[in-house]
Amino acid sequence: MKLTDREVNNVVILEPRGKIMGGPDASLLHDKLYELIENDKKRVVIDLAGVEWMNSTGLGILISSYTTLRNHQGELKLANVTDKIQSLLTITKLVSVFDAHDSVDEAIKSFK
Amino acid sequence: MAKPIIQGDTIKVPSSPEFLPDVDIFLEGTLRGFGVQESVVADIAISVSELVNNAIVHGNKATLTKMVTVRITRAGNVVTVRVSDEGGGFDPTHVPDPLADENLLQEVGRGLFIVHSLMDKVEVEATGSGTTVAITKAI
Repeated sequence: MKLTDREVNNVVILEPRGKIMGGPDASLLHDKLYELIENDKKRVVIDLAGVEWMNSTGLGILISSYTTLRNHQGELKLANVTDKIQSLLTITKLVSVFDAHDSVDEAIKSFK
Repeated sequence: MAKPIIQGDTIKVPSSPEFLPDVDIFLEGTLRGFGVQESVVADIAISVSELVNNAIVHGNKATLTKMVTVRITRAGNVVTVRVSDEGGGFDPTHVPDPLADENLLQEVGRGLFIVHSLMDKVEVEATGSGTTVAITKAI
């Protein structure tokens, strides 16, 4: 997995790319998230458009991001959830946990 | 430092997550060689990554000198992948239900559930020398 980030209207967009399967993937996103929180950037969108697939480790990373931000009075949104990831979110019931949007723009606008 | 070993339809990797991409490249290349469509390649790749993660962490306890073996075979329109470790075995019935409300925000514990959801058949065989999980999928 590769990870880039950008900022729009005080919202940070994280853009993981490739496959999220374990190993160093978790710490990469985790470290980035804590860096953002330390800098008081707590409104985050994870754009999944570039993620080919993820396994349960990837789902765990999303959950960890969601709970970490929530515990620091922040908020996580998902954008561009692919069909493959959507099916995993559905079968694991995590579809009820995440606030997912069809585009990054929609996700940004959804922050109150 | 041990390295991945590829012999025919089999890849063996030391018990570290850093070798997950090696397994994935070998697996996906083999499946595409069988003519498997991309969506099914992804389902099998996700499942194998789960099993290899489990073999590394739970089976071999991340002991680098212990290997995880992945063998890919095809019979007609059915692909079978066997993932073997050198650990003490596990009881698949003792895995907490990941769909229970109290487990929904757990960061781990969904791997086998996902494998069962994506594959046609999952068989766990414990031997004296480790555990083998065999998954099959029609292609």
